[in-house]
Amino acid sequence: MTQKELHNDRLAEEAKRSALGYYTRRHFLRESAMGLGALALGSLIGSCGSNSSSANQVFDAANPLAPKLPPFPGKARAVIYLHMAGAPSQLELFDYKPELMKLDGLDCPQSLLEGKRFAFIRGVPKMLGPQAVFRRRGQSGAWVSDHLPHFATIADEVSFLKAVTTDQFNHAPAQLLMHTGSPRLGRPSIGSWITYGLGSENQNLPGFVVLTSGGKNPDAGKSVWGSGFLPSVYQGVQCRSEGDPVLFIFDPEGMSRDLRKASIDAINEVNRLQYAEYGDPEILSRIAQYEMAYRMQISVPEVMNINDEPDYIHAMYGTKSGKACFANNVLLARKLVEKGVRFVQLFDWGWDSHGTDPNLAIDYGFINKCRQVDKAMTALILDLKQRGLLEETLVVWGGEFGRTPMMENREGKQNPFKGRDHHVEAFTMWMAGGGIRKGASYGETDEIGYSAISGKVSAWDIQATILNQLGFDHEQFTYQFQGRPFRLTDVAGRPITEIQS
Amino acid sequence: MNIAIKEFIGHWHPVVVHLPIGILLLSVVLMWAARKEKTEGMRKAISISLLLGMISALLACITGYMLSISDDYDKDLAGWHLWMGISVAVTSALLYLGHMRGMYQRWHLPMGILLCVLLAITGHLGGTLTHGSGYLTKSLFAENDEVYVRKPLPNVQEAMVYQDVVQPLLQSKCYSCHNANKKKGGLQMDKPELLMKGGKNGEVIIAGRAEESEMIRRLLLPREDEDHMPPKEKPQPTENDIVLLHWWINSGAPFDKKVKDLEQPEKIKPLLLALESEPEEVMLQAEIPQEPVDKANKEAVQKLRAKGVVVLPVAQNSHYLVANFVTAHHFSDADMQLLLPLKMQLIWLKLGGTKVGDSGMAVVGELNRLMRLQLEHTRITDAGLSSLKSLKDLRYLNLVGTRVTASGVQQLKDLQKLQSVYLYQTHVSKSDYPALQQLFPKAHIDSGGYEVPILESDTTEVKYVPKK
Repeated sequence: MTQKELHNDRLAEEAKRSALGYYTRRHFLRESAMGLGALALGSLIGSCGSNSSSANQVFDAANPLAPKLPPFPGKARAVIYLHMAGAPSQLELFDYKPELMKLDGLDCPQSLLEGKRFAFIRGVPKMLGPQAVFRRRGQSGAWVSDHLPHFATIADEVSFLKAVTTDQFNHAPAQLLMHTGSPRLGRPSIGSWITYGLGSENQNLPGFVVLTSGGKNPDAGKSVWGSGFLPSVYQGVQCRSEGDPVLFIFDPEGMSRDLRKASIDAINEVNRLQYAEYGDPEILSRIAQYEMAYRMQISVPEVMNINDEPDYIHAMYGTKSGKACFANNVLLARKLVEKGVRFVQLFDWGWDSHGTDPNLAIDYGFINKCRQVDKAMTALILDLKQRGLLEETLVVWGGEFGRTPMMENREGKQNPFKGRDHHVEAFTMWMAGGGIRKGASYGETDEIGYSAISGKVSAWDIQATILNQLGFDHEQFTYQFQGRPFRLTDVAGRPITEIQS
Repeated sequence: MNIAIKEFIGHWHPVVVHLPIGILLLSVVLMWAARKEKTEGMRKAISISLLLGMISALLACITGYMLSISDDYDKDLAGWHLWMGISVAVTSALLYLGHMRGMYQRWHLPMGILLCVLLAITGHLGGTLTHGSGYLTKSLFAENDEVYVRKPLPNVQEAMVYQDVVQPLLQSKCYSCHNANKKKGGLQMDKPELLMKGGKNGEVIIAGRAEESEMIRRLLLPREDEDHMPPKEKPQPTENDIVLLHWWINSGAPFDKKVKDLEQPEKIKPLLLALESEPEEVMLQAEIPQEPVDKANKEAVQKLRAKGVVVLPVAQNSHYLVANFVTAHHFSDADMQLLLPLKMQLIWLKLGGTKVGDSGMAVVGELNRLMRLQLEHTRITDAGLSSLKSLKDLRYLNLVGTRVTASGVQQLKDLQKLQSVYLYQTHVSKSDYPALQQLFPKAHIDSGGYEVPILESDTTEVKYVPKK
């Protein structure tokens, strides 16, 4: 018997003994009663359950992230979702409204206010004309403002959705709706659904990685990358682009790799005994997680290190060495997708341009935010393209809602700076790569950009499109929970075929 | 009788109609089978089945008549169907009486055969009424498929606005339910005068007033709305199609004008111009071969998996495979033989970053079903590329970060299905690209090396300076 086996045996023996120590008569009685109840309940629930989910989507607890196949051959293999948390103003970036300029400074007409609710606007606000210079770009002639000089050069690579709508005017619920299909807590996020459905191509890396920048997590908190009722192994793994990529990834001093392996093996052995006794699949999940964590100790620092990228790539993305910033995250996202990560979710906070202070002003902070993301997101598209990855990587960009054509007057008083309130009726998002048409634009808003007049799409439509590009029919892709099948798009959604190539 | 009751009775027709077909056919078969002494016992069953057949034929006639008077059907076709149905009922009645009374024994079988012929004709007419003409044989003539494909117009300004722009839209999205045989809601759209006349509820097009036209109103209703047209399960017109129809109606819904004779707002011009090019096909799924293939050899797949290769079908219910080497960096030329047993199934191969080199390409060359091939950051050179000439179905080729040159890529000039070739960080020089592009006119040849310029604004911030 080797040293290791001895060690394992001893641990297992100890666990067993301590378990026996708890085993009293009272315990026995309680357990027998519970056992009978559980038996009855099990058969009850078992007979209610349906077998609607296809064989592929059955949760394999021992191997939860094994690569799986989609129902039909999708065009995209991975997704990079760039979420501008706080909601950028479409009226200063993509939705050019010369008519709005004519109304600049005038009182907002009553017809636009009646029966509407805003987060902060009260009484009658003034209209605010576009605070940017717009030009038509590329062959598609898409309008992009001078705030995004780099992105303007690749307008022909993307498809714009000009009339996205939502029904939530506060950040947290709107972000939840965008990422989980419901404004309330408890539903799995898109990345969780996708890793649940497709697993991960690379067993040494998590399938769903989250990177944040802008100094703050999104308002909805970690629930926007939570796994909801899906097995917890599918939740997003938040990584950092400075310091250790994952907290506590490195062994503490004095802990050798062999010792780490031995202790993980021992823990798994105990867990296996536990599984033999209770049969709870979450235990197998836990074993798989330990093993993956062990492998990740080697693979993650290697992939997460953007310093091994050549200088010209750093220059292209405009990274900032040693800082947590959007550009670093974007470069990292490309590396992760290259290595087989399924879903990379980026959140960049700071787009909430109310006009309450210079950082949140349309004519100051907002411009700086644009400068922080412009170069990196442009480089991402071009870099994916030159590596032949854009064809199978879907890039999605957007906020959780839009901003009003009116200047915000918080509680009826004019804000000190130019700003816009949250707006649910129309905003712009764009998608690129992964089977999305190049240089297309879908949807249109009225002359002042207040509401959608055609090509209206919802968060569910966007989710249905993302799933579709990966090879899922959003109406068929379900998970059985609380006695009924749930889906990401709830009871709505339609893949936006108008922007598919 | 109340019209609602008539309609209710009429709606039983599709249920009842199958009974006489089955029962009467059975009775004729019995008559034929019971000719001989040996099978005499069967005769007893003939009369009862003839009786039941006759009654059900009669019921089918009555319900069918009720259905036909609630309009919606082509009068001609429905009339024929009705009379043929009646003749079936009469023939079966005669046969029944003849059989009961034992008269004209000799004529029974010929009459039975006549009955079968009448049944077939009636049934076919009925099918034509419900499913449209040509339904039965449609699948045999694939070209005449229901999906109508628009042909590009050589010069849209010279084209006829109705025949060339409007009619093709109506043809592809409306005619299937609003034609001479099937007039849903009493509306027939394939003749200009009938289109303008409208349906049961009145006009559908009010020339010059698109907003008030029922057709436009229904097109614009939410898809879930019961009144939305076309019905939500049918193919939908695109938004641009609706804009064109809207424009045509607002221009007075002319049938004899050319496009150039109508006023064209800015918004319409690009849509009209688009009609000059091939209709864009929206591919919702990635392309995979149409023909079925046998399931891959399980052992061969297992062997690859043991090497760390991710081998999976490209989709559920498909036997075509994708092999991904992202976690199999040590895979080398010596291991390549493992791919050969999967030659028929492999269509996507991701060898990027492995130790595979030129000699391994000989194996790849045999995988002639490949549609996507990733060889980025491998050791292959032009010599290896020459083995890939046999990959006739190749759509995507990634050679990023390899030592291939332009002359190496030129060897692949016969692979005309190539749609994209990635050559970033290869030994292909900038000056070679025009020639390569000529060699692959349909493909996207990507040289990479994109640069994002350095602007002052990249690193500076706009600062707010409070006024004093």
